[in-house]
Amino acid sequence: MQRSSVSSALFEMGNTRVIVAVYGPREVQNKSQQNNNQALVRCEYSMANFSTGDRTRRQKGDRRSTEISLVIRQTMEASILTHLMPRSQIDIFVQVLQADGGTRSACINAATLALADAGIPMRDIVTSCTAGYLCSTPLLDLNYVEDSAGGPDVTVGILSKMDKVTLLQMDAKLPMDIFENVMQLAIEGCKAIANYIREVLLENTKQLESRRGG
Amino acid sequence: MATSARGGGEGEAAAGGGGGGGAAAEMEVEAYRRLFPVAYFERHLRESVRLDARPLASPRDTSVALGLVGSADGSALVKFGDTTMVAAIKLEVMTPPAESSDEGSVAVEFYMPPICSPTVRPGRSAEVAPVISKQLSDVIMSSGMINLKDLCLINGKASWIAYLDIYCLNADGSLFDAALVSTVAAFTHLEIPLVSVSDDGRVVTVPGELEGKTKLPLVNKDKRKLMLNNVPFSLTCGLHKEHILVDPTAEEESIIETFVTVVLDTLGRVVSVYKPGGSVLAYTSILKECITLAKRRAQQLRNILNESVSAMEVDKSS
Repeated sequence: MQRSSVSSALFEMGNTRVIVAVYGPREVQNKSQQNNNQALVRCEYSMANFSTGDRTRRQKGDRRSTEISLVIRQTMEASILTHLMPRSQIDIFVQVLQADGGTRSACINAATLALADAGIPMRDIVTSCTAGYLCSTPLLDLNYVEDSAGGPDVTVGILSKMDKVTLLQMDAKLPMDIFENVMQLAIEGCKAIANYIREVLLENTKQLESRRGG
Repeated sequence: MATSARGGGEGEAAAGGGGGGGAAAEMEVEAYRRLFPVAYFERHLRESVRLDARPLASPRDTSVALGLVGSADGSALVKFGDTTMVAAIKLEVMTPPAESSDEGSVAVEFYMPPICSPTVRPGRSAEVAPVISKQLSDVIMSSGMINLKDLCLINGKASWIAYLDIYCLNADGSLFDAALVSTVAAFTHLEIPLVSVSDDGRVVTVPGELEGKTKLPLVNKDKRKLMLNNVPFSLTCGLHKEHILVDPTAEEESIIETFVTVVLDTLGRVVSVYKPGGSVLAYTSILKECITLAKRRAQQLRNILNESVSAMEVDKSS
């Protein structure tokens, strides 16, 4: 989508639209934070004022944005091979254009695409999906209306091939056995997204190859 | 045009490097481009082309798409080559101040999030962002594009405030021009929500589905679209020595120091001219040339906008 030193990805999950730009590895901007053994990963999450139903003037550093920035950063850090790029910095910037539930997951999926597009070495593709439980039915990928219905909301992030869970968040109460079902459903959702992402990346690489070689 | 520009650059590099392989020559050209940007640029100007092989007076491919953001009352996506802008309008009901009780208001804000350019650091917004916000605000008011009285609902009690948010998703030069087109496009797409007055005197918006079912009086049933008069279009030209370059990219903007932005309305009247300093001192002849180029561009932009509006109407009816 953009030129040279930037890699970017646009990810849509239903009506939730998220754009992610990845810069790096590049020189560390704040020398005091430089790590001689691995790369620094930085993430900033922001929502456009028109992204939700009511226009809200959002402050950059508000609590929700900071929390989600931290979650995305730590989830991606689990996969990026930071020790291969010491003394450098990788910036992940997330901009939500339209929010309809599952923004966290869409951000993580878009970040994976952008990082892969940037050629940053990762252990595995990280994908994320939400699941909930309403009217005695487990539901996959809740939208805003379903999310605000007051039922539990489980967000799962996995390293798809390695089958390891890197992110797990839940609010509200849920009995243990139902929780296992819901989590399993979310993991299946993540795997489906991983397959889709893999296809997209393969297609992208083929196009690049034909442009280069042809 | 494309092959000649590339050939020029590569030919030079090949002559210098003894005609290396394709990839090596390309790397030398890239190195020359980074190390001596002004010389690389002027070498192109001598052949009357630019870095992306455009002729000097030619703007980039422009596209406009309306209605991108479903949650907004009006929205548009505009691309000038790689420069990408998303504009969205949300209308809210407010109580108008006493001195302008029959008018609404427009609040414009231009954002440059860090995704738009590697030069924008988080925590510190780009220097040009508030400047462009102000320029847009001024142009919208001075061109008279929107009659604020059209935004009035109930005189003295309720009127609309239109919050226009423009996000730059990719900054590759000509930011003001792209932002202005996205503003115009978003207002063209804008559909004012239905409102009615509830029992306790509050003005409430009525979602589309309840249009036929509400018992409350609908206040603005026939005023759903905003009338836009004297629509402004702009063109930014860079002045480098004696050359005028239309619609500069970010790379060109980093080399050129002098810019002239001309804003014209539909009747061809000059709404604003903006030349903020710069080393090139322009004669009136150069400014006249810029205005002529702006006229041509305004016509082009008007056509592109009208095409996207009719495309949207086709989509709606189908």
